[in-house]
Amino acid sequence: MSSWFALLVFPGFLYALPMGWLMLWVERKTLARLQSRIGPPFYQPLFDFIKLMTKEPLPRPSQENRFYLFLPLLALGATLGALTLLPVLPHSFSLVGDLALFIALIEIAPICLVLLGFLSRSIFGQVGAVREAVLTIASNLPFIAALIALAYASGSLRLMDIALHAPPLARGLAVLAIFACLPIKLRLNPFSVANAEQEIYQGALTELDGWRLGLWELNHAVEWVALSGLTVSLALPWRSGLAVLDAAIFALLSLAVVFLLACLAGATARLKVGQASRFYWRWGFGFALLALAVSFFPFGG
Amino acid sequence: MSYTIPIGPYHPALEEPYKLELECEGERVRAAHLQIGFNFRAIELLAQSRNVIQNIALFERVCGICSNVHTLTYCLAVENLLGIEPPLRAQYIRVIVAELERLHSHILWAGAAAHILGFQTLFMTCFRLREIVMDLLESISGNRVNYAMNAVGGVNRDLTDPRTVQEGVHQIRRAVEEQLIPVFTTDPTVRARCAGVGVLTKEEALAWGAVGPTARASGVAQDLRQAQPYLIYDRLDFSVPVQESGDVLARIIVRALEMVESCLMIEQALDQLPSGEWRGQLFVELPPGEAVARIEAPRGEVFYYLASDGGEKPVRVKVRTPSFVNMPTVRLMLKDATLADAPLIQASIDPCYSCTDR
Repeated sequence: MSSWFALLVFPGFLYALPMGWLMLWVERKTLARLQSRIGPPFYQPLFDFIKLMTKEPLPRPSQENRFYLFLPLLALGATLGALTLLPVLPHSFSLVGDLALFIALIEIAPICLVLLGFLSRSIFGQVGAVREAVLTIASNLPFIAALIALAYASGSLRLMDIALHAPPLARGLAVLAIFACLPIKLRLNPFSVANAEQEIYQGALTELDGWRLGLWELNHAVEWVALSGLTVSLALPWRSGLAVLDAAIFALLSLAVVFLLACLAGATARLKVGQASRFYWRWGFGFALLALAVSFFPFGG
Repeated sequence: MSYTIPIGPYHPALEEPYKLELECEGERVRAAHLQIGFNFRAIELLAQSRNVIQNIALFERVCGICSNVHTLTYCLAVENLLGIEPPLRAQYIRVIVAELERLHSHILWAGAAAHILGFQTLFMTCFRLREIVMDLLESISGNRVNYAMNAVGGVNRDLTDPRTVQEGVHQIRRAVEEQLIPVFTTDPTVRARCAGVGVLTKEEALAWGAVGPTARASGVAQDLRQAQPYLIYDRLDFSVPVQESGDVLARIIVRALEMVESCLMIEQALDQLPSGEWRGQLFVELPPGEAVARIEAPRGEVFYYLASDGGEKPVRVKVRTPSFVNMPTVRLMLKDATLADAPLIQASIDPCYSCTDR
């Protein structure tokens, strides 16, 4: 399968955009149903995007405008690039060492968010940026440790090899650690600290409006697809060989991950930045360490 | 990183006009400055240009949440000056409405606290419950916010359907006991945010004159309904919840238990509700003199002072609201708290800026 197909069609742009909006809707709808509300119609995230993109934004100095355009586009491009590498189909596009490239690409969006917060020159943006930076470091420790455990256990740095050949115990523990990192990476409760509305408005995004916010929201939708997709593709140890069936299973399980995350978000209050960091150092890293231990010292191996 | 962060006068945490300026170092609050008065309405001055009856409607507008408390205290002050006592049925109706209002206020506060904690599901649960109380108040008074129940020497409306109120209150008590209290006291994320946060010691509460649930959560067992019973509170069997720890969690627990007590009080009052006259007076001639009245509002003691020179308009009405007294304690609670705790601590005293900026 060519890299262009992966980037532009599946699991890239053409799949990621509608899927991202669908995931945003599933999250909002699940939350709404948990709270005895009706919730929005399925096309709401798309309409929100159109509204943001067509709004007249506040005039800003051209220097700032360049950053507001460049950073969300960079984040979007990097997240789409990471999505391209997901080992969904048996003959997916893959590279030797694409695991390292995936980690590098998926981390660009949080860095862009931190930069956006500092560039906004708003105190809320800056506090949000600091929180985002602290939490990114806290969550990356278990996230990357879990991926290293999987790579070691399967003896490869290629995502497809990892997905197909990781031993079950190491895979289970690592996938749990990765799943635990998703709320922080998607800025969801109980770790929605960097965008704690009641404390610092929208944090790093406080000063973004119109198309600037629209572009960022688009990136956020694609982030949902990439991160839930990573969890699902690494959790599944087999592929049917039928592209349509594999894609459908991938999409459905990704939506199930979104549903679980929304349930978790609906059932919890927001923690503080220190508490969230401690959680990841203690529990997230704990799972990742176990996965590492199981990988390095396999039972019966 | 050291910086000053403004919370308010417009802020999504508490949609009321106040300003809290926090001097922070990193996430840690080093000092807090509170600014009020953004919405001052000169109600006390306006009261001097209206007659005694017109002033009831005026004081109803001091606060949108505890509107009944203000008219009740004002009417009690007028009745004290006149030396009259309302009929027994009117007193029971006043207590039922006052306790329903306390329920409404506490449920609203619980929802606001959940909102500030980012716990939207709990917020929705509280506000769904609040609808039941508002429906009950509407069924009694015809209004959902300003109930217009109190008159000098009685009430404006009779309580015609005690059964509906009884059923509604029972439903609320069950929901509070089975849903709100367990979630607020056992949910790990709520506990992590509230336990040990914003501590006000008993000594500080006494020294700074804290009142109401804020004081009771710091171990100060004061409640006018028990200490100096007014209306028919001495005929009701109830306890005053007190907590010793003085943190945000203690304030939550005190209010949650008070909700249960209020439900029990309403149920008792409905059982004891006597028949008879309930109407108030349409015309009042004030004798010269002074009078005071104080009652236990949802947020603490409300005090009214009334002075008359014998004319149809009072020469002075002074209102002291509990929020005004409790607000300075926020500075103590905020010392060395984290920025994330600031909105919650600030909201934990249940401040009412409408009452304060009257």
